[in-house]
Amino acid sequence: MTRVLWSLALFVPLAGATSGQEPMANLAGLKFFETHVRPVLSNRCYECHGPEKQKGKLRVDSLAALLAGGKSGPALKAGKPDESLLIQAIRHGESLQMPPRMKLPAKEIGDLTAWVKMGAPWPDAKTQVAKQPAPEGETIFTKAQTAHWAFQPIRKPDPPAVRNPGWGRSPLDAFILAKLQEKGLAPAPAADARTLIRRLTFDLIGLPPTPAEVEAFVAESRAAPQAALEKAVDRLLASPRYGERWARHWLDVVRYADSNGMDENLVFGNAWRYRDYVIKAFNTDKPYDEFVREQIAGDLPPAKNPDEAGERIIATGFLCIGPKMLAEDDPVKMEMDIIDEQVDTMGRAFMGMTLGCVRCHDHKYDPFTIADYYALAGIFKSTKTMDNFRVVARWQERPTATLAEVQKASQHAKKMAELQENIARAIKQQYGAIVQPERQRAREYWETARAVHLMAAGKTVEQWARDKRLKQAFLKQWLELARKSPVELNAVALAKVSLDEKGPFRFTAELEADFSAAARKELGVRRSELAAMEKSAPVLAETMAVSEGKATNLRIHLRGNHMTQGREVPRRFPKLFSNLKQEPIDASQSGRLSLARWMTLAEHPLTSRVMVNRLWHWHFGSGLVRSVDNFGLLGEKPSHPELLDWLATRFIESGWSIKAMQRIMVLSSAYQMSGAYHDGAYQIDPDNRLHWRHNRRRLEAEALRDSLYGLGGNLDVAMGGTLFDAKNRKYVPGYPNGNYEKYDFPRRSIYLPVIRSAQYEVLQAFDFADPSFPSGERAITTVAPQALFLMNGKIVHEQTRAWAEKLLLDSKLDDAGRVGRIYEQALGRPARAQEIERALDFLQRIESERARQKMVDSRAHAWQSLCRVMVSANEFVYVE
Amino acid sequence: MMNRRKMLQSSALGFGHLALAGLLSECAGREVSANPLAPRPGHYPAKAKRVIFLFMHGGPSQVDTFDYKPLLQRDDGKPLPFARPRVVSSQTGNLLKSPFRFAQHGQSGQWVSELFPHLATCVDELCIIRSMHGSNSRHGGALLELHTGSDTFVRPSMGSWITYGLGTENQDLPGFITICPTLTHGGVNNWASAFLPAVYQGTPIGNASTSSERATIPFIQGPTPRGIQRMELDFLGEMNRERLAHTGPDAALESRIASFELAFRMQAAAPELQDIRSESAETMRLYGLDQDRTRNFGRQCLMARRYAERGVRFIQVTHSYKWDQHSNLRNDHTSNALEVDQPIAGLIKDLKRRGLLEDTLVLWGGEFGRTPTAQGRDGRDHNPQGFTMWLAGAGVKPGLAYGATDDYGYYAEQDKVHFHDLHATMLHLLGLDHLRLTYRYAGRDFRLTDVHGEVVQGILS
Repeated sequence: MTRVLWSLALFVPLAGATSGQEPMANLAGLKFFETHVRPVLSNRCYECHGPEKQKGKLRVDSLAALLAGGKSGPALKAGKPDESLLIQAIRHGESLQMPPRMKLPAKEIGDLTAWVKMGAPWPDAKTQVAKQPAPEGETIFTKAQTAHWAFQPIRKPDPPAVRNPGWGRSPLDAFILAKLQEKGLAPAPAADARTLIRRLTFDLIGLPPTPAEVEAFVAESRAAPQAALEKAVDRLLASPRYGERWARHWLDVVRYADSNGMDENLVFGNAWRYRDYVIKAFNTDKPYDEFVREQIAGDLPPAKNPDEAGERIIATGFLCIGPKMLAEDDPVKMEMDIIDEQVDTMGRAFMGMTLGCVRCHDHKYDPFTIADYYALAGIFKSTKTMDNFRVVARWQERPTATLAEVQKASQHAKKMAELQENIARAIKQQYGAIVQPERQRAREYWETARAVHLMAAGKTVEQWARDKRLKQAFLKQWLELARKSPVELNAVALAKVSLDEKGPFRFTAELEADFSAAARKELGVRRSELAAMEKSAPVLAETMAVSEGKATNLRIHLRGNHMTQGREVPRRFPKLFSNLKQEPIDASQSGRLSLARWMTLAEHPLTSRVMVNRLWHWHFGSGLVRSVDNFGLLGEKPSHPELLDWLATRFIESGWSIKAMQRIMVLSSAYQMSGAYHDGAYQIDPDNRLHWRHNRRRLEAEALRDSLYGLGGNLDVAMGGTLFDAKNRKYVPGYPNGNYEKYDFPRRSIYLPVIRSAQYEVLQAFDFADPSFPSGERAITTVAPQALFLMNGKIVHEQTRAWAEKLLLDSKLDDAGRVGRIYEQALGRPARAQEIERALDFLQRIESERARQKMVDSRAHAWQSLCRVMVSANEFVYVE
Repeated sequence: MMNRRKMLQSSALGFGHLALAGLLSECAGREVSANPLAPRPGHYPAKAKRVIFLFMHGGPSQVDTFDYKPLLQRDDGKPLPFARPRVVSSQTGNLLKSPFRFAQHGQSGQWVSELFPHLATCVDELCIIRSMHGSNSRHGGALLELHTGSDTFVRPSMGSWITYGLGTENQDLPGFITICPTLTHGGVNNWASAFLPAVYQGTPIGNASTSSERATIPFIQGPTPRGIQRMELDFLGEMNRERLAHTGPDAALESRIASFELAFRMQAAAPELQDIRSESAETMRLYGLDQDRTRNFGRQCLMARRYAERGVRFIQVTHSYKWDQHSNLRNDHTSNALEVDQPIAGLIKDLKRRGLLEDTLVLWGGEFGRTPTAQGRDGRDHNPQGFTMWLAGAGVKPGLAYGATDDYGYYAEQDKVHFHDLHATMLHLLGLDHLRLTYRYAGRDFRLTDVHGEVVQGILS
């Protein structure tokens, strides 16, 4: 056997291609194949890779088929067992294990390996691969794919003509009305002023209107409804609370969190800077195209000043705050996973496309190829997100200090330097006074030191110093010298060491005991000042951000596996959009900047449509395209395609102004409809796709929590910064065994830490979006834990108590007035007479029940009960 | 098809339109109930009605527990005679024999090490899979793979998939609970519903830092006396019904009214469940509640039985992050085993005598096993290439040892069972076809088993 193999081994270089030209060796090879290889293939493999089935598009019953391979590429490389997938698979290597459940006996593995090594002789084999499959990633799209509505250019439709144009203030309304009329439906009547101001206020700032705001609006509306509305919209859009509300929507889309989650829940100690950037972007109405460009490539174009540069670097945090497997032992996989998360998030957030699917294969539905994916992924491969991919890996942070911060820090440093100099000067002065007379006694010091050194037994240094009236601190230093240089010092040498700055008369802290009392006190004060300054020294801000990395193309990873790579694809944008202007990507650059510009081309069919649809969804409770994150073939079709295009056009024309778009939406008659039920309309359009009424909507987790603090009179409207009591890059406090629990801040919910893999239970109970996923649409569940929270939750208990106490302290109100006030504050309307009566009766019954059970403080508790019922009520929790 | 509003009206527990949309699209062909947690039949008749998963966080060593390797004992100190995996979490040295004695037990004669003397007496109930393998060599990745099927992305937990597929039998309790779960290595993602509707997420009962005695359902207790709370809820109900009359029919408002009544019932059921004084002294002893070392985990196991009895669908019990013996294998594996051995044996015996083992599937294991090669002198590294988990109860062959690793216990070789296969098999036993239990999210139909998984026919009874 060994001999046969040896002779065959010689044959290797010629194998395959010259099959048939070496009859002897070939014969032995063929015999080996027939006795040791074909039976194995037939017994072990044909069932799934033979004439009947071709799993993974592979068959192994001919050499040509093996050479052509299947989905994972060629299965065989004649002569090279280590590079042959067939052999890797039967060895149960990393990327493939075949047969999947049962490793072959060692002998069979050895035989197959030897056979490949000898050049894979196969009788009558055609070595020519019969049919070359199309190179991966070059799939031709179907007509249905390319003709999909979302990929078509944005049209500029004129508002349709409608009968009864009496309804509707805005062209937007004409689109709505036309569709309703098509179905024989009519828009619901306008909501009353109280309903409208409550809706508008929650919608734009996420808090209830105050009773005064409601009354003012009601009065103004009576005179001039539209003017009152415009004024209210302007007021709310200008409120800093607006940015806090709308940034939170965006943070859902970009899967914002303050910790990594996944396997290693490390603190993203600087993520809040990105969150604050988003709040500011909404408050200042940063044009959306710029907003998008900054998040993809804010670090690249030159900035006007350090402030702007810092802000734009922070914006790229968008790419960095995703969840990552930081303890993945395979660094290549880790990097590709991080890149994938970036590509997928970017695709969904800006384009409503699920590009993550394309990592392993051409998109099953949408016209994206695996080549498109790796062309885009190459851009992020060429971008630096991580410092390293070790276990546990480290993400990159970049300095972002604003000019003011830099100045503040350097001022602080300057002050500290001054103070240090002050201290040094004071010490020098005191020391000088002490050392001056002692220098005259150098010989005395020297001899005493020698005496101590030579007659080490007997008196201690302390005793010698006391007896000779020498400074003990100096004497110790002289003793060091005496130990080091046993030779006698003459006068010249003595004078020299006495003046030596590093000599035995040098300063030591011990001498401070000899300073004057005043000087000591002064020094103490200065030093604690310095310590305080050190503590408060501003740390120059760093933030999670990307930078340009080494520009490089990726090869296609077959089936998404980095162990099986195909051909290289140059960095570029998806082929589907080849009619869009594509800047060529410079070989020296990642291409991120080009990508950012491409994404925000006015002609891009997705970017503007996706965003106006998101805005619509957040205002109306359901998008024109209801699958807000999926505009692909599996997404839903728009209910009003012309309206969507009209809005997208207006959006771009307004310079991508989000506030301008929101104004158009909320000032429309469509927005102002009531939520009234209409049986006929319900039968025709139960899901309200055509907007025959306004959708009734439950308060989001944040709006509910913030309102509770607001009603309790405790909402702190301070803006920005972090409340996360945790050190950057360390594990989330509480780890490994406890939950992070510090959420007890009366600040708006957007500022609370968002901990991936241990979210705040209050927000989570009310459908807070999972911060590991980009999500433009929150689930709305109505489940028992929400009721339990309102019945038993600490925040509810504390804030309703505070609210009740404040009401009781208001001596201008009688009880009926207090009930009225509760209704006004919580529901934005006065209480009806019988509601007051019923509430008073309830209070009285609670009070007597408590009295019966001999419980204390019954009156306050009864009012608290009433307040709790009020915030639990559907009328409070739902916005009409 | 039922009118949507009617469906919701009949609901005991409300839910959101997303959940509904998901259910409608997924349950076509099966009976759709309005309540997303209402019990519903699977794709075919089920052997198991519920699962108890006893999770040994850290990675118990197969070669020191259930996978006896005579050659490892013989070749102690010699080099591993074959290659290590390309990716490992740390470097290891030569072969290290097990410091624990093995013996065969029961009628089935299965090998169990001296670490589990109590469990050894139940060995005829166990279906031991000695050929488990996973793909991730780190705790975080491996936990997520074990719990969700993915070590790359955040995906729904297996408990979420199961409650999504089957609902739950007791509407006064959550359908999927996890007792004292770990917050590390994926934390909540190990019991989260991810993109499945939130009603299917696991409810944590305490966490790894809570003693099992104090572990309870979030928000289940508050400061308001029960009588007062009843009065509040009556008043609230009146207000809400009045509002409903004013707004006209609205399914969401209706189900929210019902949700308060359900919450009130849950609140009433919880203390009774938590209070184990009704258990006999003998039962307490069975679980080891009378001894310091076994009390905490024993109580977790006893609570698992009480939840199982009450129809909770998926119950996870976690023995927290203790099994990670990179060093101190001899002492720490001994101490860990001591804490869980009697409670687990007690649980199996108790389930059996109550007839619950017939329709309860018990699963035991960690996120991976350990290397037969030494880390230091007395430790082993993580090993996802081959390790042991066992099943007991509904639908699995008792007294079976299935699959095998190589001679030294490093790689699974015979009848290999990947986590995906385990998931497929668990779903199968519950009456669910892993290929058909799908959920459409972001334009794709997702499965617990992704594109993998095969039911392990060889272990089915």
